[in-house]
Amino acid sequence: MISFITNFTSAIESLAKVHRLLPWLIAYVLLLFLPNLITATFGEYYVDLANRCCLFILLAVGLNIVKGFCGQVTVGHIGLYAIGAVTSALLAQNYGLPFWLSAPLAILVTCFAGLVVGLPSVRLEGAYLALATLGLGESVRIMIAVTPALGSSTGIMMIPAPTIGDYVIESFDHYFYLVMTAAIIGIYFSFVILNSSTGRAFKAIREDVIAASVSGINVPFYKLLAFVISAIYAGLAGALFAHMPPGYLHHNNFTVIEMVTLLLMVVLGGIGNIWGGVVGAIVVTVIYDQTKDYYFYQPLIFGITMVFLVVFMPRGIGGVIEQAIVKRKFIEKHEEQNLGTS
Amino acid sequence: MDFDFGSLLAFIIFGVTIGVVYGIVALGISLIYSGLDIVHFAHGEIYMFGAFLGLVLSQQIGIPYPGAMIGAMVLAALLGMFIERVFYRRLTRSGGGYTVAGMGMIICGFGMSVALMNVAFLIWGADAEPFPVEFGIEPLEINDISIPPSYLLTAVVSLCLMGILNYFLRYTKIGLAVRAVAHNKDIAFLMGINVPLFISLIFGLACALAAAAGVLVGPMQSVQVEMGYLMLMKAFAAAVVGGFGSLPGALIGGILVGIFENLGAAYISASHKDIYAFLLLILVLMYRPAGLFGVVAKVKA
Repeated sequence: MISFITNFTSAIESLAKVHRLLPWLIAYVLLLFLPNLITATFGEYYVDLANRCCLFILLAVGLNIVKGFCGQVTVGHIGLYAIGAVTSALLAQNYGLPFWLSAPLAILVTCFAGLVVGLPSVRLEGAYLALATLGLGESVRIMIAVTPALGSSTGIMMIPAPTIGDYVIESFDHYFYLVMTAAIIGIYFSFVILNSSTGRAFKAIREDVIAASVSGINVPFYKLLAFVISAIYAGLAGALFAHMPPGYLHHNNFTVIEMVTLLLMVVLGGIGNIWGGVVGAIVVTVIYDQTKDYYFYQPLIFGITMVFLVVFMPRGIGGVIEQAIVKRKFIEKHEEQNLGTS
Repeated sequence: MDFDFGSLLAFIIFGVTIGVVYGIVALGISLIYSGLDIVHFAHGEIYMFGAFLGLVLSQQIGIPYPGAMIGAMVLAALLGMFIERVFYRRLTRSGGGYTVAGMGMIICGFGMSVALMNVAFLIWGADAEPFPVEFGIEPLEINDISIPPSYLLTAVVSLCLMGILNYFLRYTKIGLAVRAVAHNKDIAFLMGINVPLFISLIFGLACALAAAAGVLVGPMQSVQVEMGYLMLMKAFAAAVVGGFGSLPGALIGGILVGIFENLGAAYISASHKDIYAFLLLILVLMYRPAGLFGVVAKVKA
């Protein structure tokens, strides 16, 4: 397993030497065939599941930026997702804007909301911040639940699907191309951010705020930036969710349970590990969907899993694999040295 | 809505009584924060468990109300100590603070809160259960406002609990040890205080307070599974408004949150009632993060 992963990464690295976008392009082209494959083997319903996986990948990757890179504990991320979804849905429904206009506007609004959520982070740390963001996220949901104009108890129905010219993207497998593209771009950009000076500033803030500020990093600015970037991801995911084929939004999509599954994705994959977050998103979404029959026990299982993950595997799947790779390299190096001396 | 001084007074009185309850839960959160340097996210669920335990003890087993309250407090304290021993102990050993380990603690508490809520749901179901109690006292009448006995009792019992806690922390030897542990664990350890035991004690004490709040709120509102989550938020708002680690601060913060919420519900919009506490929380966090009575904590380098 580990050797497969190391071989795989080295193969990808050699591809990336040809052109840095080449591996992404190949992955994209391969994924274009996924809906056909899924429909042929499992059925069309699972394409819908794959769509939702892509949305949660976007959310998890976005949460990873603020949480994993920048070390700010936010648990109100689902509120941003809700803002993105509701804004885009209302713009499309009440003002007849096409998806290509309502989604960017929704992202803009979510950005602003992200700024508001991020503002407490300038002065607060850790648990304080967690509760402040939880309060904000939950207020968003309560607002949606009690205000009739935002859908309240009936939800928003008949949200128009995105169109290209005369063509309406309303089947699951065509929508997959849209969300998959968004997810791939999202993952790519999170790597770009991680490897840029911004990403290094985030990591410096995560490790030690005081040391970071002494090194000349504008801490409040970068904290807010992290929140805004993650809000862009959440807004995009929300807008895509609102226009997804059934075209139906309800505030039950944004409850604490959703927040817990989102947190579980990031924790399972390993906080701060991008691919870990992606794997976590896929695993949790699929398990969540497949265990729908045991709906009443789901929060219990998810909660307990989260507790045990934190206690026994704090670095998640990604962390464990990373450690195994490091260990393997270490052993190989030592074996070489031993051969040389004997 | 025309302005009426009598109804304003009524809203303020009801706000104060519910606010005192927020105050005692806030006190528990504040205690745990000072003892373990974490915010216990599952505290709202302990409160909910306390309410249900009180309901079971008084309705199904038939223990009189005060006995049920004490029983619920003891059981909730045991539950809290169990949680602390099994989960938080491991995490504190691997380092606290707000690094990845500190984030782990928050996530751990979050997961636990959801799991506990689900356990309660599986045991008692999702319905709101009434908690009828006969107090044998007439409703108090002030200026045509009739205050139900449960409200009166709540305020009195809460204030008594706070008084006892204050006495315990200030004037007993064990209370002194608790304060020492909250102040500095390492030095307390050197002074011969059994720090892990006292951390468990703090946790148990905080959970007992939460359970007492649950049993007190039970007769005023009904008991249901989802009550804990909002309570946590409001109690946290109260703790922040009053300033963490301050005993009178928690009480006054709770009362402020209660009044703010009731007035908002009365004069702005009743359906947005649960948002006002968050609003107050955010405002205080932005402009006075240390709270109204707290001391600004120095950042540890």
